[in-house]
Amino acid sequence: MASRRPDWGGLSDHEVVLLARAGQESAYRELIRRYERPVFALLFRMVRDRELAEDLAQETFVKALNAIDSYRPEFKFSSWIFKIGNNTAIDHLRRRELDTLSLDGSPHAETPEAMQATALQIGARQESPLDTVEAKELGGAIEAAIGSLRPEYRSCILLRHVEGRPYEEIAEILNLPLGTVKTYIHRARNELRQSLAHLKE
Amino acid sequence: MTRPSGAHLSPDEIDSWLAGTLAQEWQQHLDQCQICLERAHGEREIVEQIGALPLMSPAADFADRVMASVVVPDPFAIRSLQATQRRLLATPRSLAVAASLTLLLLGSMAGSIAWSLTHQETIASIGSWFLAQGGQVAWLSLRGLASNLIEQPWYHGIRTLVDNPVRLALGSALASLAYLGGVFALRRLLALPTQQVAHAGI
Repeated sequence: MASRRPDWGGLSDHEVVLLARAGQESAYRELIRRYERPVFALLFRMVRDRELAEDLAQETFVKALNAIDSYRPEFKFSSWIFKIGNNTAIDHLRRRELDTLSLDGSPHAETPEAMQATALQIGARQESPLDTVEAKELGGAIEAAIGSLRPEYRSCILLRHVEGRPYEEIAEILNLPLGTVKTYIHRARNELRQSLAHLKE
Repeated sequence: MTRPSGAHLSPDEIDSWLAGTLAQEWQQHLDQCQICLERAHGEREIVEQIGALPLMSPAADFADRVMASVVVPDPFAIRSLQATQRRLLATPRSLAVAASLTLLLLGSMAGSIAWSLTHQETIASIGSWFLAQGGQVAWLSLRGLASNLIEQPWYHGIRTLVDNPVRLALGSALASLAYLGGVFALRRLLALPTQQVAHAGI
């Protein structure tokens, strides 16, 4: 019996999810096709490393698709997948921050000599020369300025102005009050303006 | 919303202006206020720059890599389950049958639990009766087996062999040799061929 291929273009995310839940592999692939670019772009601009962003995007999709039965249709699928992606990125950034050695030395060092020996700054937010080159390749100043924002501001500004998501959806994705999202976006734009003004000078 | 006198545009109003939905009275203020105009244009410049960031895509084999770690449910199993559910819930009669069966099952389970709790002594006496009967049956079987063995025609020959140490040693040596020979032959039979077999090319 020839299997009927659905007209994916005419199906909503919710309908594709129902087909995936019914065990149709092509429906899984359709969900990946719809969201791989925006999820990857968000993660790439969050972590600023192509290979790492691919790994995190892969982790995001594997988590989401393996838990497709727990997706609740009263929420947008896009909100759900962005939420998983954002949490994956934030978790990674927190882990990386924990791995970063303090300017004053290791917290486990017991003597001043040990503190001095381990005193080394590999700041998570500090740009390496490679990052700087990459930022230039990506479109320069604005990418670098976004990269210097706090992760929460970064998520907000990217979801709002790159992905064009409404404030309400961003609040849902990031699990934040609507007012906080607006404040974050406003502050992020202020910081970006100041960073770009410094660069212009 | 009415504009308080002397007030400048708030972030919300700047957002409205960016979206093209700013109220008329705020628009009038914006046309006259250089501070607000500069701020609004600055924000628009930033938003336009962010919006113009290049589109990004993961590697071409991204979907394949994701699918390699995704467990797709078996459609046949899902369909069978759904068909059973549909069949059970299809008509009021089938629904009534399913509900009755469920009730019967749950009722009998609850009944057996209740009976066990109220008749613990009966259960214990049945258990000890079975234990005693079992022991008796096992002892009788063992006795029957032993007497049966003694009555066999070859039993006397074995007894004679065991009684004479020389014959016993000789018999054991022969049995060990036969055992070792058997193991060796089996190993030779099960060993992988060291040369390629013509019809088994991979």
